[in-house]
Amino acid sequence: MKKIEAIIKPFKLDDVKEALNDIGIKGMTVSEVKGYGRQKGHKEIYRGAEYIVDFIPKVKLEIIVEASQVDEVIEKIRNAANTGKIGDGKIFVLPVEEVIRVRTGEKGREAI
Amino acid sequence: MVQTVIDSQDFTGLRARRQALDAYWQQGISGYTLLHKHSDFIDHHLACSFEKSVPAGDGFALVAIGGYGRQELYPFSDIDLLLLYDPAQKDELDSLAEAILYPLWDTGLEVGHAVRTVDECIVDADEDFFFRVAMLDARLIAGSSSLFGKLTEMYKTAYIEGKRRGFLDDMLAQRTNRKTQYARHTYLLEPQIKESGGGFRDIQSMVWTAQVVFGLKDLVSLQKAGLLSQEELNRFEQAQDYLIRIRNRLHYVSGRKNDQLFFDHQEEMAEAFGFINEKEMLAVEHFMREVYTHMQTVSVTTDLFFEHVEEVLGSDETPKAVKVLEPGIEVRYGKIRLANTELIKSEPKLFMRLFYQSATTGNPLHFRTRKAITANLHLVDDKLRHSRRSSKLFLAILVTPHPFRVLEEMLDTGFLTSYIPEFAEVESLAQHDVYHIFTVDRHLVQTINELEKLREEESNIYAAVSVPHILFLAGLLHDVGKGLGHGHAERGADLVRRIAERMGFEKKDIGILEFLVGNHLFLSDTALRRDLEDEEFLMRCATKIHSPEWLALLYLLTIADARATGPTVWNDWKGALLLELYLKIALLLDSKDLSGHEQARSAELGAQWIREKVAGLLPAVNKINFDLFSDDYLLSFPPEVIVQHITHAKNLGKQDVLFLHEQSRESWSILVMSKDRPGLLTRIFGILALHNLNVLAAKIFTWADGTAVDAIEVSSAISETYDGQDWAVMENELHLAIKQRLGLEHRLSRKLAPLRSNPQGAQKRLAARATIDNQASEHYSVIEVFSEDRIGVLYDITKALSDFGINIYRAWIGSKADQVVDVFYVLDYDGKKIEDPVFKNELQQGLLYAVSNAKRKMEGNRNKN
Repeated sequence: MKKIEAIIKPFKLDDVKEALNDIGIKGMTVSEVKGYGRQKGHKEIYRGAEYIVDFIPKVKLEIIVEASQVDEVIEKIRNAANTGKIGDGKIFVLPVEEVIRVRTGEKGREAI
Repeated sequence: MVQTVIDSQDFTGLRARRQALDAYWQQGISGYTLLHKHSDFIDHHLACSFEKSVPAGDGFALVAIGGYGRQELYPFSDIDLLLLYDPAQKDELDSLAEAILYPLWDTGLEVGHAVRTVDECIVDADEDFFFRVAMLDARLIAGSSSLFGKLTEMYKTAYIEGKRRGFLDDMLAQRTNRKTQYARHTYLLEPQIKESGGGFRDIQSMVWTAQVVFGLKDLVSLQKAGLLSQEELNRFEQAQDYLIRIRNRLHYVSGRKNDQLFFDHQEEMAEAFGFINEKEMLAVEHFMREVYTHMQTVSVTTDLFFEHVEEVLGSDETPKAVKVLEPGIEVRYGKIRLANTELIKSEPKLFMRLFYQSATTGNPLHFRTRKAITANLHLVDDKLRHSRRSSKLFLAILVTPHPFRVLEEMLDTGFLTSYIPEFAEVESLAQHDVYHIFTVDRHLVQTINELEKLREEESNIYAAVSVPHILFLAGLLHDVGKGLGHGHAERGADLVRRIAERMGFEKKDIGILEFLVGNHLFLSDTALRRDLEDEEFLMRCATKIHSPEWLALLYLLTIADARATGPTVWNDWKGALLLELYLKIALLLDSKDLSGHEQARSAELGAQWIREKVAGLLPAVNKINFDLFSDDYLLSFPPEVIVQHITHAKNLGKQDVLFLHEQSRESWSILVMSKDRPGLLTRIFGILALHNLNVLAAKIFTWADGTAVDAIEVSSAISETYDGQDWAVMENELHLAIKQRLGLEHRLSRKLAPLRSNPQGAQKRLAARATIDNQASEHYSVIEVFSEDRIGVLYDITKALSDFGINIYRAWIGSKADQVVDVFYVLDYDGKKIEDPVFKNELQQGLLYAVSNAKRKMEGNRNKN
């Protein structure tokens, strides 16, 4: 089992969710995150006043899938979240030792 | 009514008792009756076991205190008992306590017990506020009435007679505590029926205080004594009964002593109360609306009551003089009041005048005046609602420094809904989700509170607002279309148009109001769901929003709305997205002439604001001639930076060149100041290129006295560090170049070739373009050059301009993706715009040649290498 973490632009969340839905992935954890990267925070001056945004708002998705599904999921996320511009985000794949459903105690693929 | 006979034994068994209570509920026995029945059962049970185990005589008394004393026993309430004993009988105490209490514990009831002598009670009551209050409701269940009589007498002497002020102070302190503790967000969404504002504690503290202070034992006596009107009493009793029924059922539904209407229980409760889901509103929303309405009634009534008591027991300072504010309205002890409460009946215009005086003086309304307003709301008629005079006052209230407090009073007295009947639809309206923590009416008033704060916090943006009354009115009414299903924004826009027409607004103002209400979700939806780099989409936003002022209004409304909704809706994450959207649209609105007039106006306001700031930051002795600075210069830098420019300029001699550099977050900032001279910019850009610096952005200005201020953002093209950059050599060469003692041209051609080694260059190159526009600016020709972003390109462009004898007065340099868009505000050699079509064409060709010729030169060089 793998955990896929994807950091994407906020407005792409619906597209990505839909794309994942299409391949049967319905459950995920979504959080509002802040980041820096190549697309840096910025300072704007508008009418004499300075506006500093020192982080970039992003959305983080966390999805647990079976190892065999990883490539497909990554492909779907990439396609849906890609705008071709800096700041489209990143995808991380991490190994997962075990998954347990709290209610039933089911483990492994049953619990995904 | 059909009575089910339930064995009292069943009633004490936990499971059986639950069934019994439910059976009563199903029969419609749900309010006070159920409490009393429950209390009677327990009484009966206790009296039996008391008689079985206690010898007759005056040695013992079993006393119910607290809620049980009042015979208000909810399904899972604690049963608070006091076993009173004569010290002479101490020996028998243990066996007696066992006989009475053990069976109770065995049934699983929550028993709170105290075993005390009369004297001990009096001492304990002194130390324990809650015990002292619980004693107020003491009731004899079984045993010696003379012992009980002794207790009540001593209690009265010790804690009631002559202690009225102290009692009130304790009550008020508890009330304040509760208000702070239970005002938190969770308690708004999931009200605590007992402790929240408008809950049972409020009711009880009113009844207790009435008892101690006035010797009035119940609500009816309060009405008879004139502390409540008949109307108030009726509403209050209804509210109380409703809350009792809720608490009864809530204990049953939760299966334990739980007084908080948790989210999970709300739906089941709604069903138990017979509400059904409808298309526009869920059953649970209907139900919660009832809950909030009744709690509001309790809250308002008890507020008024306590103000009354405070006044009765008020400190005996010498009466302050009454100050008459206007005929019929006066202020006394810091409260606005009607000179005579009957006045309002003949002078309905006094309604709005009262609130107006309250808003302008900052004094709240006296409770009697508030009561008079509520009692006479039927006099708020169409005539008043159409009155220009009233609507002017209403708008004036909205733009006072603190309209929030006044609007709260308007809402609490019911005046707001009478004056704007459209408000009735959203009164106490609950939304069954975790985001909206306030009922809609409270949320709307809360929005005013947030706007009040934003006026200070976002003063820059607020400076662009010329119609604050429209902004605040939009805040107050933006959700007025709620409660009728989807599309509340559009419906709201429709409603506010009607409201504004009734109030006699000007057409222009109605337009803004309608726009704001109809689009109050637009920015927050867009910021989350759209690509903020999609220029075309942003352009459509700009076109829709129409003017910088409208954008500022909508932005402020959006933030206020989000903040007034709840803590999960607003955070700095969302704030950052919204700010980005705001700035992007704002810059578009500024650059494109979408609405020349309003744009100029709000820029003017902004510049004025900067002038004041700058003047404030400089020592008073420094006289500044603001005529030196154009508005767009002022609007391009923060006030502190302008002050620095002014200070530098003072030290700048005729021949001097000031060269400053610093490291900022992502780039290096260079400031060059000097007397303007032909070719200055060319030389600066030449030197930058010579030292491997890429120009990321530049702001080029010339003051009216000929001082050039060039602020340039650069980065190293060869990844040099800031400290590794040889700034001293660069400064020296800049001086030489400006004095025309440095051969920039030959140095550059040698220098640039190896830098342009980007193999993709040829494919990625975009066609260069140069335009000359005489419409965009009143005084200058505006030249835009689009070219490939490469080092030295600005040198080539400005050199070409300089060769044509063209003076650059200001410039915007910006990179967009791989392309540079440079904008120059220029005049020709004679100080005129470039109008001659032949010269225009020549200049265009010259610029294009400069951009591409340099390229060829370099490619030539590369081939040679």
